[in-house]
Amino acid sequence: MILTPKELLERQSEFTVIDIRPESQRKEFPMDGINIINSEDGFIHTIEGKKVLVCQFGIVTEGMIIEQNLKDTFSLLGGAQAWIDFQSEKEDLSRWSRQTVLPEVGLEGQKKLLNASVAIVGLGGLGCPVSQSLVAAGIGKLILIDGDSVELSNLHRQPLHGTDDIGKTKVKSAEESLRTINSVTKIQCVDEYLDESNGLDFIQECDVVIDATDNIQTRQLIDRFSKESNVPMIYGGLYRWEGQVAVLNVDGSPGYKELFLEPPSGGESCADAGVLGMLPGIIGNIQAIETVKLIVSIKTNLVGKLLMYDGMNHRTEIIEIG
Amino acid sequence: MKITIKCFSQVKYALGIDEFVLELEAGTMTSELEQNIRSKADGKLDGISLRIAVNQKYIPNDIELNDGDEVAFIPPVQGG
Repeated sequence: MILTPKELLERQSEFTVIDIRPESQRKEFPMDGINIINSEDGFIHTIEGKKVLVCQFGIVTEGMIIEQNLKDTFSLLGGAQAWIDFQSEKEDLSRWSRQTVLPEVGLEGQKKLLNASVAIVGLGGLGCPVSQSLVAAGIGKLILIDGDSVELSNLHRQPLHGTDDIGKTKVKSAEESLRTINSVTKIQCVDEYLDESNGLDFIQECDVVIDATDNIQTRQLIDRFSKESNVPMIYGGLYRWEGQVAVLNVDGSPGYKELFLEPPSGGESCADAGVLGMLPGIIGNIQAIETVKLIVSIKTNLVGKLLMYDGMNHRTEIIEIG
Repeated sequence: MKITIKCFSQVKYALGIDEFVLELEAGTMTSELEQNIRSKADGKLDGISLRIAVNQKYIPNDIELNDGDEVAFIPPVQGG
């Protein structure tokens, strides 16, 4: 069982709070604002009533409770780290404890995600998994842009939309699903296709723009606005069992224009060529990973590279664009 | 010389294979290899623009191939 820092603050009179961390860690990262006792070996079992165990990140204590089958015992989600942050900013980040524990993300990275804005152009095959993962990851604001409506033939690969959503606008249907994942993320729905007249306004107010469209012309527009506003573009494309991802226009790095020299021709749409239902989930989530890396400033990424994935033989190839 | 050809998307479906090795004369240029690939595709790649990567890097222009090179043909894809 787990308890968030906010829940512990509100219900602390119900619990004995036990810090199991070594003394050096307790001194370096003290937990203020709560009555807490330090544990010794075997000590936990002698305390009756409800208990909350605290370690640094909330992972050791969760394991302890399961392994030792401790009754009436909770683990503090995100551990002392989440409590300290909650105390200093009154912001409960324990929800993201499984990714803030990653040294490459940490609390600072999570705060960057919470303050980030991402535009997603297209709420179909790629837009569904991208938006789903970014909302779950705690992105502060999403702008969903798509003028299309949900059709029966979309459902096998667009899991934010269900049978009851047929006929609804894709942005509205997606918004309803996304709000059930995380209501904190602000979602702006734009029930229009991105075009010459509206694209720059939406893209320039974001940190990243996701290309989840289904045609080359819109990709070229996104590329142009991405370059003009210096907002990185994360390209994704699908063909039958295969997908492509590239991170474009990062401080002058190659863009879509350099990826497929203009005018690219001959690409077929999902309607023409077909697409396996699971493929967008893989490619869209790679786009989401690259988005998080850009926002958190992780340098191992796909900037200036094209990743190609083939779901038939699971071949992955990464090409340097230039 | 032996050149490994890697085919993606429409190229893979046009040729019916994702990877194969070609024996080519020394001095063959990438543009000549592209014509070779297009002719093998029997018209299925007509109208499809292709980017060429040699040894996992896009080439900026036509270059001479070397024994052991890996050449990838990459078409644009539209789906999303």
